[in-house]
Amino acid sequence: MIPTVPSRINSHPMNRQPDLLPLARLKPFRFFRPLLLCSLITLMGCEKKSAPNAAAPARGRLFAVSFQTMNNPFFVDLNDGLKQVIEEHGDRLVTLDAQFSSLKQKNDLSDVIEQKPAAIFLNPVNWESVRGTLIAARNAKVPVIVVDAPVPDAELVLAQVASDNVEAGRLAAQALGEARPKARVAILQYSVNKACVDRVAGFTEVLGKRFPGVSILATQDVKGTSEATRPVMRDLLERFPDLDAVFPINDPGAIGCVSAIDAAGRSGKVLVVTVDGSREAAQFILNGGIHSTSAQFPKKIGSLAAGAAYDHLAGKPVDKEIKVPVTLVTKANAAEFVK
Amino acid sequence: MKNCKAILPLLSAAVLLLAFFRALAPEFLSGSNLLDLAQQISVNAILAFGMTLVILSGGIDLSVGALLALGGTAAAAVLPAGGFFAALAAGIGVGALFGLGNGLVAARTRIPPFIVTLATMLVARGCALRFNEGRPMGIALTQETFLALGNSRCAGVPLPAIFMVALFALGSGLLHRTRYGQHLYAMGGSREAARFTGIGVARVEVIAYVLCGALAGVAGLIQTAQLYSAEPASGQGFELNAIAAAAVGGASFKGGRGTMLGTLLGAIIIGILDKGLNQAGVHFSFQYMVKGAVILAAVGSDVWRRTETR
Repeated sequence: MIPTVPSRINSHPMNRQPDLLPLARLKPFRFFRPLLLCSLITLMGCEKKSAPNAAAPARGRLFAVSFQTMNNPFFVDLNDGLKQVIEEHGDRLVTLDAQFSSLKQKNDLSDVIEQKPAAIFLNPVNWESVRGTLIAARNAKVPVIVVDAPVPDAELVLAQVASDNVEAGRLAAQALGEARPKARVAILQYSVNKACVDRVAGFTEVLGKRFPGVSILATQDVKGTSEATRPVMRDLLERFPDLDAVFPINDPGAIGCVSAIDAAGRSGKVLVVTVDGSREAAQFILNGGIHSTSAQFPKKIGSLAAGAAYDHLAGKPVDKEIKVPVTLVTKANAAEFVK
Repeated sequence: MKNCKAILPLLSAAVLLLAFFRALAPEFLSGSNLLDLAQQISVNAILAFGMTLVILSGGIDLSVGALLALGGTAAAAVLPAGGFFAALAAGIGVGALFGLGNGLVAARTRIPPFIVTLATMLVARGCALRFNEGRPMGIALTQETFLALGNSRCAGVPLPAIFMVALFALGSGLLHRTRYGQHLYAMGGSREAARFTGIGVARVEVIAYVLCGALAGVAGLIQTAQLYSAEPASGQGFELNAIAAAAVGGASFKGGRGTMLGTLLGAIIIGILDKGLNQAGVHFSFQYMVKGAVILAAVGSDVWRRTETR
């Protein structure tokens, strides 16, 4: 490595530094023992905290919820709604994060089903892959309530609680039609997701019935994220110079659209109507960029789902399909949604 | 004998964890819960068996998660027209084929296995996403034989667990009773020395990757049957779980050290942890921390013990 140093100097006993070698080998392990100890202590700490919860199953009934991801404020709010109602009853809720893995969701829920919970709330990673879990729950006589995203095996679940997505689409169309009766609009749909399909159905229904002057220039399939929506919107703006309105199916998509519209220098000329009711979108409504968003109420979905579970446990009948109302957010009321 | 000694700490760790969770929840050691545990760990254990072979050769395989998804989707695509056996062949065959690619490139070039299999992971994921536009593919309920792979029981034991045990036995036999096993250990210990003793190291390495890919295909079939659908986007991060199981089980990333029994115990320990923490109602944020700490502690104590006795 150092060519200027003659090799015989390296081999000289004074320069070989033989004492350093074992030391270098030892050091990481000397460091390792306290590390090991620390990790064990952390471990014990974590376990202890959970112990009172688990050691006293007599103290309240067990409920569990599995979300496709907890990396979304929508589901965090939904979880809060569930938790509030369940803890008011003196019971406890275990929240499970499937991390977009159906197998993890299935395993997590089979762990819980072994414990004979009072009920399970399920937000499926995908609706094809939950059948095994639904069958296992039925065999164990555990009622399942689906939240947010519907499943096809409706006969295997007690109830499905979700936003009224068709109405959310209708509200968006109404807001658009009233603002621009002659709008030339693009729809950015996400056809894999039932909720998004419903929104588009409500949207086109109202446009067709009440606003014959509005024409739909293009319909494109986009995953509802800002990153995915932005380039698609830019292309649409290039292709249709007269495009003056867009319906992206959710707030993240809408924010991508606003960014594309600004970049194309058509700020304020293209009307954006969307669905979700997030704080970010409300901000855009106040400051310009987005015209309206149909707000969903995830916390309400959670509390209604928990309510349905308690009704069922009390022997009362429960509606198979519970739709949670949505509200139109415009400049008039956006301030309430910028919490 | 030496083997038993190496396994003892893992065994005691597993027993300790079982006792710990039993203290938290009395029903933890019930028969049905333990059978459920066996079913749950089967996919990870089968991936980890293949991973062990590759790790023994001194390599690593990051593509198993994507191959699991591809194996499952390929089987689901073939199943309606080709029937049960064609689906099995497609699922396992496609895994083995990509494994062959991994092995040939890793053995013949100087590209590190980490990079080779990282590339394969992306290519295989892309192939899986070609099926059904990336959407899940449901398995018709009439495909009873195929669905039985993941859901039925033999004498009360879930079939995936039986496959896991059978593959464990086969893998152990391969490592300890065959010449191939000897060659794999020799090669992982020192590639150069193995080559000088006349072992065809390239062949040994390629076979390890082929088996790893094929096992990923098997895991894909089992997952697909369990979920009643093949998901092109599934299996992300599964390679890391498999590596964790092998590492906890005492496999050394320098190659040449590790056993199937160790890996099985590693998968069991991780499975007990997952199940126990879920059933103890530990918040998922703590579960990540605990799992990380346990993996570090398990591998650390193993490394520490070996340097002590050296």
